[in-house]
Amino acid sequence: MNLILDFAPPLVFAALGGVLSERAGVVNIGLEGMMRFGAFAAAAGSISTGSPWLGLLCGGLAGAAAAGVHALLSLRFRADQVVSGIALNLVALGLVTYLLQAVYGSPGVSPPAPALPRDRYGHTAMAYAALIVPVLFHVWLSYAPAGLRVRAVGEHPRAAATLGVRVLPLRAACVLGSGVLAGLGGAVLSVGILGQFDARMPAGQGFMALAAMVFGKWTPLGAAGAAFFFAAADAAQRQLSFSLHAADLRLEGVFLALPYALTLLVLALGIGRTRAPAADGVPYDPEGR
Amino acid sequence: MKALELSGIVKRFGGVAAVDGVSLEVAPGEVLALVGENGAGKSTLISVACGLYAADAGTVRAFGQDLPAGNPRFAIDAGIGVVYQHFMLVGPLRVWENVVLGREPRLLGFIDRRRARREVAQAAERFGLSLDVDAEVESLGVAAQQRVEIVKQLWRGAKVLILDEPTAVLSPREADDLVRTSRALAADGRAVIFISHKLREVLAVADRIAVLRRGKLVQVTPRGQTDAGQLAEAVMGAPREAATADDAAYIGAPRPRPARSAPRESDTLLQVRDLSCQSSRGRPALRGLSFHIAAGEILGVAGVDGNGQAELAEVLTGLRDASGGLSLAGDAAFFHTPASARGAGVAHLPEDRHRRALCLPLSVEENLALGHHRRPPYSRGLRIDVEGRRQKARDLISAFDVRPQDPLARTADLSGGNQQKLVAARELLGGAPPRLVVAVHPTRGLDIGATRRVHGALRAARDAGAAVLVVSLDLDELRAVSDRILVLFDGAATGEVPPDTSDDVLGRMMLGQEAARA
Amino acid sequence: MPDLRARLFAPARDPLWGAVLAIALALLVSFVAIAASGRDALAGFGDLLSGALGGPGPLGETAIKSAVLVLTGLSVAVAFTVGLFNIGGEGQLIWGGLAAAVAGRLDSPLALPLSLVAAALAGAAWGALPGWLKVRRGVHEVISTILLNWVAIHLVHGWLVAGPLAAAGGGASISIAGTEPVSRAAWLPRPLPGSRLDLGFPLALLIAACVWFLLTRTRRGFEWRAVGASRDAAHASGIPAGRRICEAMALSGALAGLAGALLILGTEHKYPGVFRTGYGFDGIAVALVGGGTAAGTTLAALFFGALRAGATRLQLVGIHPSFAELIQGLAVLMVAAPRIFQPLLARLRGSSAPAASAPPVPTVQP
Repeated sequence: MNLILDFAPPLVFAALGGVLSERAGVVNIGLEGMMRFGAFAAAAGSISTGSPWLGLLCGGLAGAAAAGVHALLSLRFRADQVVSGIALNLVALGLVTYLLQAVYGSPGVSPPAPALPRDRYGHTAMAYAALIVPVLFHVWLSYAPAGLRVRAVGEHPRAAATLGVRVLPLRAACVLGSGVLAGLGGAVLSVGILGQFDARMPAGQGFMALAAMVFGKWTPLGAAGAAFFFAAADAAQRQLSFSLHAADLRLEGVFLALPYALTLLVLALGIGRTRAPAADGVPYDPEGR
Repeated sequence: MKALELSGIVKRFGGVAAVDGVSLEVAPGEVLALVGENGAGKSTLISVACGLYAADAGTVRAFGQDLPAGNPRFAIDAGIGVVYQHFMLVGPLRVWENVVLGREPRLLGFIDRRRARREVAQAAERFGLSLDVDAEVESLGVAAQQRVEIVKQLWRGAKVLILDEPTAVLSPREADDLVRTSRALAADGRAVIFISHKLREVLAVADRIAVLRRGKLVQVTPRGQTDAGQLAEAVMGAPREAATADDAAYIGAPRPRPARSAPRESDTLLQVRDLSCQSSRGRPALRGLSFHIAAGEILGVAGVDGNGQAELAEVLTGLRDASGGLSLAGDAAFFHTPASARGAGVAHLPEDRHRRALCLPLSVEENLALGHHRRPPYSRGLRIDVEGRRQKARDLISAFDVRPQDPLARTADLSGGNQQKLVAARELLGGAPPRLVVAVHPTRGLDIGATRRVHGALRAARDAGAAVLVVSLDLDELRAVSDRILVLFDGAATGEVPPDTSDDVLGRMMLGQEAARA
Repeated sequence: MPDLRARLFAPARDPLWGAVLAIALALLVSFVAIAASGRDALAGFGDLLSGALGGPGPLGETAIKSAVLVLTGLSVAVAFTVGLFNIGGEGQLIWGGLAAAVAGRLDSPLALPLSLVAAALAGAAWGALPGWLKVRRGVHEVISTILLNWVAIHLVHGWLVAGPLAAAGGGASISIAGTEPVSRAAWLPRPLPGSRLDLGFPLALLIAACVWFLLTRTRRGFEWRAVGASRDAAHASGIPAGRRICEAMALSGALAGLAGALLILGTEHKYPGVFRTGYGFDGIAVALVGGGTAAGTTLAALFFGALRAGATRLQLVGIHPSFAELIQGLAVLMVAAPRIFQPLLARLRGSSAPAASAPPVPTVQP
């Protein structure tokens, strides 16, 4: 069970990032790219400053910067949000690989980066944060004035605008926030778990986070819960294949595929009509008729 | 001091002046009506007044203060509140959340829920508007939602209340309530601007009446110095020579219609017996409805929105399942899919043309082919007959005067009126002549020219022998086109009456009172 | 003259121009970036070009890579047509490749056509599944196709190819193993000596032409486009929208499956133990840059194929080959922001431009 608390935080933070952006009405497929930028920046920051905490900060900022591009394209230029997110992922893929090679001369991994300290249970601070932040997010979304406005803006931006809510700045703030969260998620991968940056990071976890968000019906608690569930499934899979000597049977693949297949099954059976915020993905035109 | 002063407002959209040099003022305690056809500039003017749009020229002053343009906050702070035609309500949020959004009462940084709910309930009570502050807005009916909109403005201390076509979606009784509410608000010292194109209503509610035509202010007269006829002239802009029944109906003046004899049973084309079905929310929508339409007859369906009309139209066009008996031209069978309905000769002018009738990103030509595209002249075998389709599109465009007259234009770029003409052209002339035409709110949001054409097309279909069903919220429209009117209430018919039945009787039937006559 | 200006600055309305413009801009930005980093940009681009087009060898590389991209790009474009975003090309390609590797073991002149058909069917199944899930259960296809990608990757690479279908005597070295080699009869013929150019390239172009015809000139294609433009309106007009969506997704999957077959039958000649392609994801970029049209997709595929082929030569000037992916990403970014141009143009013209909305998902233009 310790494994879960270790592996969940990246997913949790990224999923929360997705929720923040999409509740405000901006589709964010670029979580994978933001995590990648965050993971690399965190490792680089940690290596150069010697402090994993500064590394975390760099990770968050890098995620925000990437999100800034997405926000610029989607909000200011009203580009298609899915396309913008995919473009971000593609750029992240190439750029970070390139930077890894250029800065550290290695195509595979970065040098070891100072990692987050662990307490006597073996957990980093981020593991606990992954338990607390979703609750805080939920409280904010449901009870704070800004949270109400975010919900309104994601469902019916024009209604909010007629009441003086500034839609585009609010959406931009949420997108940047989602970048910080996703960047932090990626940072935990490199500076919290592995202790270095691996060229494959985040290896699809950004997309997993999207699934967790949908699974959790676009709510902070739901998404975090789903993220924990996925992490648990992942951990269980590792235990299972280890204990069954599945490697001999070459059944690793089946176990690895299981969490994803299960997610799909649950999506297909349980949730049925997934309901995203009504204005999700629709570019907002201040002077639209 | 004037509550609201608009001076020399000009607003253009892409080179066309929607509002061209309009100056208007309202005093506290008065109701000013703003009248004009669709497209005359009423909505644009209001959007400028409340800060949603920035005017290209002119100033807006509230209580003597200049209002900077482009930000609704200033207008809101100055006390200007607008209740729009299309409600600006956030569905999943609750009533109280919608009311306080943007100006939330705070307690230690969070929303003070208790105070918010209490204040909203008090504001509603004060003006006799009944509301459940905890209900989710999307679960409310239209009239209730409108009350939320009004309370929303009042809670914010609106001293100028602008109501944009508020009675478009209300029953006659609810409309009367609204008129009374408006006068009460004025008596309370507020300024009310009441926008409508229904002249009789306007004469009942307003102290002064302003007429807009093509972006310009034509006249402002006190109520006592004008009447429906004079107003109609001002709105239309030309002396009313031989105005058609459509024009009269459109602007609300009553006009007698020649009586039509009741159709003989053997002429019956559509027979509906004991029809029952459920709504999308799982509640009963139609309860044992029975009626018939003869060949060459237009049956108008009246009723307050949400009493089964939409579901009836869906059943007839294959979009909804039902139980009971349905037979068209002797074939007794329900339509399980739109394709089978179409195959049986049913044409559909749906309520929401953007969603149901048109593929907006496609070209005009392609939308004209939709539904009939599998047959000549649109296709030859499995392939599209490009030339044939193009020519047919041109024919349909000219028959209905769709503008621009370019088959390759993007449908999304057409105005609402032209889009509806496109739909009518396609449904009525696009393929084999239909046997049953189902038209729902066919002229909603259309100007008089487009309205005339659509009504003409419906009449032409009737004259060619089709059975036509027209659902409308506009009693005047129903009177103008129908041969008989069926009134629905709560999923059943409260009666079938001739079109010259008075508003009063129709209104009562729409609210459940059975008709006394056969 | 004004016509050219309008075409130049309206990429949203004219997808082909949009593709050309996006590619040109991406190249420009990359050129500047390389030069700014102090390396010899001109030489680098020269190497890139020679690596892509200089001689039968490089041309062959470009051709085989482009062929695969044409198919995966078309796969995404076909899905766009019905309004769905098929991110599952990778998984569909993998199953298609595996099917071809298995069917190709047959030692008979029918091996090649059979393998291609098998690949198409396998891909079609993996594509129809998310389509069905969307229609019947409302599962968003972006999520389901992403999940299915991972399921495919793990099931095929982590189990089937490593276990039941592994070549006998493969030993412990998984990286060299893979499945049994396909029979010689199943190899895609290579007409050009000194080059790896194979039948796959003309085949891909032929398929592109067929897809174009299907989408723009047939009744079925029209119905797909109507469904993609407005599912409700299409349904109300009598088109069985759900069925059409599944059909299109099946074709979409089949195209990606065929892409996998091209890789297996043309280059690898077996399903290798390590098969990292990324062609499936590249297909998304190709379709986006190509504006969702068959012609634009083909053009973009040729460009990206050339880029991939020539990228290894970039190392000669000290640039990591992954730079090619970066250029790709930039091109997609350019396509994602067509509106950058419109306000600019409007200002040049001095009028306020109405907010013409680009369709949320590229639809196929005739």
